[in-house]
Amino acid sequence: MSMDPGAQRATFSVNAALVVAGLLVLLALAAPLIAPFAPDAIDLAGRRAAPSSVHWFGTDDLGRDLLSRVLYGARVSLAIGILAAALTVALGAGVGMVAGAAGRWIDALLMRIADAILAVPRLPLLMIASVIVRPGVPVLILLVAAVSWMETARVVRAEVRSLVTRGFVEAAHAMGVKPLMSLWRHILPNVIPTLVVATTLAVGRSILLESALSFFGVGVQPPTASWGNMLYQAQSTMATEPWLALFPGAAILISVLTVNSLGERLSISRIGVRAS
Amino acid sequence: MLLLRRVAQSIPLLLIVSVLVFALLHAAPGGPLAIYLENPGVRPEDIERLRKALGLDQPLSIQYVRWLSAFITGDWGFSLSDGRPVAQRMLERAPATLELAGASLIVALLAAVPLGIVSAVRRGRWVDRVSGVIALAGVSLPVFWFGLILQLTLAIGLGWLPSSGRSAVFDSGFVDRIRHLILPATVLAAVHAAAWSRFLRSSMLGVLSQRFILAAEGRGVPKRAVVLRHALRNAAGPLVTIVFMDAALLVSGAVVTESVFAWPGLGALFTEAIVRRDYPVLMAFLMVTSAAVILLNLVADLMHRALDPRVA
Amino acid sequence: MNVQRRIIAAIALLSFACAGSDRGGASNDLLIVGYDREPDTMNRFSTHILEDIQSCVIEGLTVTDEQMNVIPLLASEVPTPENGGVVVHANGKMDVTWRIRPGIRWHDGVPFTSADIKFTVEAINSPDYNPESTDGFDRIESVDTPDSLTAIIHYREVYAPYALQFVRGALPRHVLQGRDIDGAQDYNRNPLGTGPYRVAEWKTGEYVLLERVPNYWRGDSLPAIRRIVFRFVANTSTRMNQLRGGEIHVTALVPWDKYREVRDVPGLSIHKMPGNSYEHVTLNQRAVEAFRDVRVRRALTHAIDRELIVRTILDSLAPVIHGPIQAVSWAFTDQVARYDYDPARARALLDSAGWHDRDNDGVRERNGKRLAFTLITQAGFAVRENVSQALQRMWRDVGVDAQVQLVDGTSISGLWFEGKFDAMLHWWHMPADPELTLFFAADRTPPNGRNINYVSDDSLTRLLYASDRTVDQARRRALLVAAQQRIADLAVEIPLYNVTRLDAVPATLEGFTGNPTNAGIFWDVWRWRIK
Repeated sequence: MSMDPGAQRATFSVNAALVVAGLLVLLALAAPLIAPFAPDAIDLAGRRAAPSSVHWFGTDDLGRDLLSRVLYGARVSLAIGILAAALTVALGAGVGMVAGAAGRWIDALLMRIADAILAVPRLPLLMIASVIVRPGVPVLILLVAAVSWMETARVVRAEVRSLVTRGFVEAAHAMGVKPLMSLWRHILPNVIPTLVVATTLAVGRSILLESALSFFGVGVQPPTASWGNMLYQAQSTMATEPWLALFPGAAILISVLTVNSLGERLSISRIGVRAS
Repeated sequence: MLLLRRVAQSIPLLLIVSVLVFALLHAAPGGPLAIYLENPGVRPEDIERLRKALGLDQPLSIQYVRWLSAFITGDWGFSLSDGRPVAQRMLERAPATLELAGASLIVALLAAVPLGIVSAVRRGRWVDRVSGVIALAGVSLPVFWFGLILQLTLAIGLGWLPSSGRSAVFDSGFVDRIRHLILPATVLAAVHAAAWSRFLRSSMLGVLSQRFILAAEGRGVPKRAVVLRHALRNAAGPLVTIVFMDAALLVSGAVVTESVFAWPGLGALFTEAIVRRDYPVLMAFLMVTSAAVILLNLVADLMHRALDPRVA
Repeated sequence: MNVQRRIIAAIALLSFACAGSDRGGASNDLLIVGYDREPDTMNRFSTHILEDIQSCVIEGLTVTDEQMNVIPLLASEVPTPENGGVVVHANGKMDVTWRIRPGIRWHDGVPFTSADIKFTVEAINSPDYNPESTDGFDRIESVDTPDSLTAIIHYREVYAPYALQFVRGALPRHVLQGRDIDGAQDYNRNPLGTGPYRVAEWKTGEYVLLERVPNYWRGDSLPAIRRIVFRFVANTSTRMNQLRGGEIHVTALVPWDKYREVRDVPGLSIHKMPGNSYEHVTLNQRAVEAFRDVRVRRALTHAIDRELIVRTILDSLAPVIHGPIQAVSWAFTDQVARYDYDPARARALLDSAGWHDRDNDGVRERNGKRLAFTLITQAGFAVRENVSQALQRMWRDVGVDAQVQLVDGTSISGLWFEGKFDAMLHWWHMPADPELTLFFAADRTPPNGRNINYVSDDSLTRLLYASDRTVDQARRRALLVAAQQRIADLAVEIPLYNVTRLDAVPATLEGFTGNPTNAGIFWDVWRWRIK
């Protein structure tokens, strides 16, 4: 495939997406400094107020300031997105490397397990798991990663296999490097670009998974605000107070859009694989 | 021969899935009998009796083998919420889900194919860039939020379409059914349309840059004919493969969409079963959908080979 | 005539389809009810809720009317000591004589007789059938049927709520005798009754269609409405949207926070009625040691501003209450101790109980233990989710740390049944009879009852059992008043507000009365008529 004529624009887009992503993370980190109200400050007399100069995003059913909740919600939703993605990729890379390097039956077994979990529809599986476990945020991150690592494992395993069959490992072995060391030295640098793209896309998917779970009421529990459970709560008053659903939904859309476009741009500038 | 080998390979997959599903649901606190605790009239001795009757006092391995062999022979147990056979409950709901899935497939392809073609032909132009942004937004949308927004605006706000359900109370004819289908099918189609249009674009680009296409253009064959006759035909194979491969995503989407639009299909049955801890239904749902996904992936794989002789 | 009607219906249906509209109004031909759940079974004895659908099909010997009076339905009168229907023997046993209204037939034409009542008692007491509840039936020794219209129930002991024993009706002997009732899918999906309607179709996941029976015992012209559809719409927001769009005509128990969405819908009338249930916070004394101190329980009640919660979250639609028996009941008293909003008093009480915030983290502690607990409530109810968070906030202001946990319906039942919770925000579906024994007697903790406060008070338990074992209503009332006062003095639980009913019906509906009890609004569906 010839060089993409938009390569320059791609670089620009990568930078733009990085800026937006950085801004989102910064807003989340700075929430305690910039949020105009405490996220759980109840004001029953001032409930369901429309957006105004005092409450930019309006207030919810209990009179809590929605802007403050969206900012604090970012901490939870982005933390779940980023940590679950990191864990997903770490888990996937680990499994992929072991499978690829070990070969034979270990490889076969691990890959069959990955295929099996891939065949089970992800959201229903996660819903059942979280209904049984009733997870807090840390366990939720674990669960999301547990149903998401397989794609990364497949990709990493394929790269490792190709390196192994191309004789990298034998060569290293001949030079007296221990197999495990050689894995680290030769394979990791080769798969890192793949992992970066995988992580980026996994962030978006984890945010969406969390929001879907919370939408069904089995994700993050109130009064902790996450964008997903804010939407869950907004659902019952959407017809009369649409802003309650609009802002958290837009926050999810913007974050996922940002990381997805980042992922797409990164992968185009590298190999040109499908971004989904 | 190849077919046989492929089918044989999916059997261990199904076995792993079955172990996973079984382990998951038996790890639940209260176990499969949790629902009976809801009922203050049920005494501890009744629970013990039920536990024996259902074989829950046996070791897990024996329970697993029993459950699996019953499942394979079509005995999926009885729903804990209404006591009817699980297979019957799922069969009742299947047509609604198939109808929704079929409709959303049509909607997704109707959107993805023209978008994909135009973006490939006009690569880098504004059409391509706009459709790229739309596609990116499509895969980034929280499905339920998109559903709620459409419901709020088109159904409740403007009253153009019914807000939910599969039909007005009695089968009020074809028009009514279609009107009920439009919103949920669109919501379920959105993610797929977005991903498929970009996929078609890139595989069309791949084909368009190949020598025989350039040769055809060189012979003076009109651009439109080249695109439709050669490029699209060659790019269609991979697209069909992806469509089949996305079956698992479709199931997750259906759970969400059916919940938002009160669509009486398998996805809605699943959410009901979640709320009621109806374990036999949950297990059957995961097993059936996973088996369907494995089957469709198998079909995709075989079609990929059939359509593209280069893959051997 | 019949053919003609069918043709008209067909034409109506056709034009409906062509119009492509869902906004057909309610008519005497078709009334569409939005229902929040699909029933498990139509067998009234197998389900814990007196389902509205079933009360259109199956009639009891008695029913509770809108004033909470027990009135005869299939019985010709309600047996009482005065009319000789109830006899208490010197040995403590009790006989109740039921006389059935003559001429009642099951929908298949077979006469409804005392043999059906005898069969019902025996089936429920049989180990081969798993009814939802055996309350009262387990106290029946035997049933005599001197003639086809008379059934004499011999109780082993006095059973005060005897008049509601057959409120769920009876099982048809000629259909179910000798069969496995749990597995009798024909009956459980399409039960035989004596009521104004029968089940014409149950489309799983979508609706139940009821059709009027041709010769209802109250007269051939009744009921006026030909078909009623119960459409299952589990999601509350969706149900309200369909109500606003005219896709459904009736829905019972509109949530308070939805009232403002539907009150101005043209053609819709919202019927408001005080309920017989009450929302409250259960304080599990077994799980939380602090709850065993009456000062702590009183402080927790003083700390919350119920008036503010009602005024805001409930839009003033439900009044604050102070005890488990509601104003609609004949046993109600307002002469009980009250714990009005008074945070200063709450703090003083907690201080006197030895709970102080010594480390200044905003939460009191005693002997190194923080005054903290988890408040569970059912997920999916916006009002409850909001009220629980408001309570959390108000308790926090007096130095009590409550964590809110939302739990789905099935799990929450499991949790309370096993006593595995600290505090719970919920309501009971209180029976029409004001029996409190099940909820407050010391020995009625699960699995023997619903005393999930795990309150153990001898004088209260004595009062309750005494009230249970008298059929003299004046004496029973005096005992129940004393019990209510004792419950309030002990601040056993935190009463919040009355579960006021809001039922949405078409403005053109005549004959609608509503009902505060678990009989539901369809108890008198036979007199409904669309103008």
